Amino acid sequence: MLNVLSDTVTLSRLQFALTAIFHMLWPVLTTGMAIYLVIVEALWLKTRNVTYYHHARFWTKLYVLNFGIGVASGLPMAFQFGLNWAPFSESVGDFLGTLLGFEGTMAFMLEASFLGIMVFGWERVPPLVHFLSTVLVAIGANLSTFWILTANSWLQTPAGGIFADGKFIVQDYFQAITNPFMLNSFLHMFLATLETALFVIGGISAWYLIKKRETEFFSRSFKLALVVLIAVAPLQIFLGHLSAEQVYHYQPTKLAAMEALWETVPANTPADWSVLALPNNKLEKNSWELKVPGVLSYLLELKPTLDTPIQGLKAWAPNDRPKMVGMVYYSFRIMIAIGMFFAALMGITVLQWWRGKLTTEVVSENKWLLLSWVFAGPLGYIAVECGWIVRCVGRQPWIVYGELRTVESASDLPPGVILFSLSGLMLMYAIFFLMTLYFGRKILQKGPNLTLPAPRTLAQPTLVTEPAQHIPDQRPAEASQS
Amino acid sequence: MQPLEPLQNFLPQVWFFILGLFLFLYVLLDGFDLGVGILSLTAKGEERRSILMTSLGNVWDANETWLVLMGGSLFGAFPLAYATILNALYLPLVLMVVGLILRAVSFEFRENAENKTIWNITFGVGSFLAALGQGFALGTVFEGIKVDELGHFAGGIWDWLTWHSVVVALTLIQGYVLIGSTYLILKTTGELQKTHYRTATIATWTTLAGAVFITVTTPILWDHARDLLFSRPLVYVFAAIPVLGLALIVALLRSLKLRQENAPIIYTFLIFSLSFVGLGFLIFPNIIPPSVTIYQAAAAPSSLVFMLTFVGFLIPIVLGYNVYNYIVFRGKIVVKEEVSIAGN
Repeated sequence: MLNVLSDTVTLSRLQFALTAIFHMLWPVLTTGMAIYLVIVEALWLKTRNVTYYHHARFWTKLYVLNFGIGVASGLPMAFQFGLNWAPFSESVGDFLGTLLGFEGTMAFMLEASFLGIMVFGWERVPPLVHFLSTVLVAIGANLSTFWILTANSWLQTPAGGIFADGKFIVQDYFQAITNPFMLNSFLHMFLATLETALFVIGGISAWYLIKKRETEFFSRSFKLALVVLIAVAPLQIFLGHLSAEQVYHYQPTKLAAMEALWETVPANTPADWSVLALPNNKLEKNSWELKVPGVLSYLLELKPTLDTPIQGLKAWAPNDRPKMVGMVYYSFRIMIAIGMFFAALMGITVLQWWRGKLTTEVVSENKWLLLSWVFAGPLGYIAVECGWIVRCVGRQPWIVYGELRTVESASDLPPGVILFSLSGLMLMYAIFFLMTLYFGRKILQKGPNLTLPAPRTLAQPTLVTEPAQHIPDQRPAEASQS
Repeated sequence: MQPLEPLQNFLPQVWFFILGLFLFLYVLLDGFDLGVGILSLTAKGEERRSILMTSLGNVWDANETWLVLMGGSLFGAFPLAYATILNALYLPLVLMVVGLILRAVSFEFRENAENKTIWNITFGVGSFLAALGQGFALGTVFEGIKVDELGHFAGGIWDWLTWHSVVVALTLIQGYVLIGSTYLILKTTGELQKTHYRTATIATWTTLAGAVFITVTTPILWDHARDLLFSRPLVYVFAAIPVLGLALIVALLRSLKLRQENAPIIYTFLIFSLSFVGLGFLIFPNIIPPSVTIYQAAAAPSSLVFMLTFVGFLIPIVLGYNVYNYIVFRGKIVVKEEVSIAGN
C-alpha cells in the first residue's frame, strides 16, 4: 500500500481512474435524459397536452442538478492529460488534442449555451425555438459522447498514422477517426447512456407508482421509458456482443483477461466459458473455477470448435499483459448480468402491459414488478462503470494499445503533490455524490407541479419580441424573492 | 517543399491568434462571472446574493466552456506547450479547477437547498480560488517557465510562487472584481446597483495600482522583457498602451461618477482588451515563455489545417449563438422569474 502512495505513475493512474469514474456518474444520466426530454417536448408541441409540459419541467429539474455537477466534475478531465500525462500529451497530441478541441467547439459549447434557454427560457422564446434548444442540447451531449469514444477507441485500436521516436504522426485523419473500434464503441456508449437514463426514469416512476402518488403522471413516464427500451435493451446486448468480438480480433490480451484465460486454447478445439473464477496472478492460474464447456467458441465464432486459437495470458510476458485480471473478469460479468437483467425486465413488463395489467387503475398492484424497476434504477451506472473498467484496465499495460506504455506516459511529479490533488478531488467528489443523492431525493419527494400553467409564449408568440427592458421591475432590486 | 514554408509559419500564427481569442473571451466573460462570485462574499442578505447568482444562471456554463475550448485547442495545436505549461503549473491549475468546481456545484445545490449559507460560501470562495489560480498562471507568463533543450518542463513544482506572481494574482482578482461590478451595474437597479458603482470605483483604483506596478517592474526584473519592450518597432506599441490605458481609466471613472449604466462595462472591456493586446505582443512568438516559440511547439501542419477546417468554420457559429443567448436574457434581472423555476 505504501508503495502505491509513493509511485507517481500509480497515483496519476488512480487519479485519472477515480475522477473519470466519479465524473461519469452525472453525464451518463444527462446525455441519455436529454433525448428523453426531446421526446416529451415534441409530444407536448404535437399534442398541446399540458401534462407533457409538466413532464418536461419535472425531469428538467433532475436534469439540471446532474448537468451542473457533470460540468464541474468534468473540468479536471480536460486538464489532466497535460497535468499528469505530459509525455503522453506530447506524443499523441497532434491527433488526440485535435479531437478534444473538436469536442469543446462542437459539443460543449452547443450544450452549455442552449442549456440556459432550455432551463430558463420557457417564457422568453417561442415554443419552437425552445424545442430547438432542447434538441441542440441533446445533440451537444451526444456529440460529446461521439468525440470521447472516438478518442478512446483510437487508444484501443490506433490507426491512421505511425509512431516514430515515440511520437504519433498522423497520415490519414479520416482513417484515424474511423479506427476499428470507433463506430461500435460509440453506439454501445450511446445506448448505454440512453438505457441508464431510461431505467432511472422508469425506476423513479415505479417508486411513485408503488406509493400511489401522481399515478397518472408517472404511469405515463413509465410507459414512455418502456416503449423506448423495447428497442434499446435488446440492441444493447447485440452491440455488446459485437464489442467483445472486436476485442477478440484486436486486443487478445484484453480478451484473455476478460475470460481469466491463462492457457492458450488451440484451434480446432472447443473453448469453455468461465462463469465464476478466482484468478491468481502469482500462480498464473485460477485457484478455482466454474466453467460451461464449449460455450466460448459459440460466443466468439458461432462454432463448436475455434478456427483461430484464443491466446491465454501466459502467452505474454507478465509485463505485456494486464495485471488486474480479477477486476477485468468480474467487471465484464457484472456488466453482462445487468444488461441481461434489463432486457428480461423490459420483456416481462411488456408482457404485463400486453395483458392489460399496466392501466392507470391497476398498475400499482404489480408490486414485485415495480420493485424490480426501483432496484434496476441505479444498475445502469454500475454497468457503465464496469464496462469502462474492462475497456481501460483491460488495455493495460498500454496507454495506446501495442504502441505506448502507461508507465512511460506520466509526468514526473512529486508523489506528494499528486496525493494532495487526488485526495482533495476525491473528498469533493464524494461530497458531491452524497449531495446529489440528497437533493435528488428532495426533488423527488416534492414531486411534479401539476398546476403550472403553460408558458405564455404558447398563446402569444409575439410577446417575446418585446425587449425585457420594456417591462421594468418597479420594486427595488432587493425586493423580496416571493 | 519550398512553397509550403510560408504556410508552416502562418499556421502556428493563426492558431496563436485563435487560442488568444478563446482565452480573451474566457477572461472577459468568466471574468465577470468570477468577479460577481468574489463580490458575493461581501453581499449583505440572501436577496442580494440571490440576484447576484441569478444574473449568472444562464451564462456561467457557457462562459466557463471557453476555458475548456482553449484547453482542448491548445492540446491539439501546441501539444508540447499543453504538456509543459500544465506540468509546470500543476498546483495553481489544480487550485483553479477546484475553485471552478466549487462554484459550479454551488449553483445547483443552492437552488435546491433550504440552508443556503454553505453554498453561498462555496460559491464565493470557489470564485476567489479560481481567480487566484489563474492569477498565478498569469504571473508565470511574465516570469517564464524553465525548460530543457527539448522544451520539457525542467523547473520545480513551486516555481510559480514568487512575490511578483502574488502581485499579479492580486491584480487579476481586482480586475475581475472591476468587470464583475460593471456587469452588475448593467444588470441591476436601485441600492444594489449603487453598491456596485462604489465597488467598481474602488476596484478601478486597485487594478490601476497593480497594473502600474506590473508595467514598471516587468522590464526591470526580466532581461527578455526589457529587450523586447525597447526594441523597434514594438517600443511604439508598448508606449501607446499605457497612454491609451490611462485615457480609458479616466473615461471609466467619469462614467461611474455620472452613474452611466452601459458605459462602465464597455470601458472595462476595452481596458482588458488593451492589456491583452499588450500581453500578446510581449509573448509572441513564444508559446512557452520565455524561449519556446509557437513554431517549435506546434503540431504537424496537417493537424493544424485539419483542426482549422472545423474549428475555424465553427467559431462564427459559436460566437453567433452565444450572442443570441445574451440577447434572449438581456435586460435587468427579474428575480420573480427564478421563483417560478424554483417553485415549479
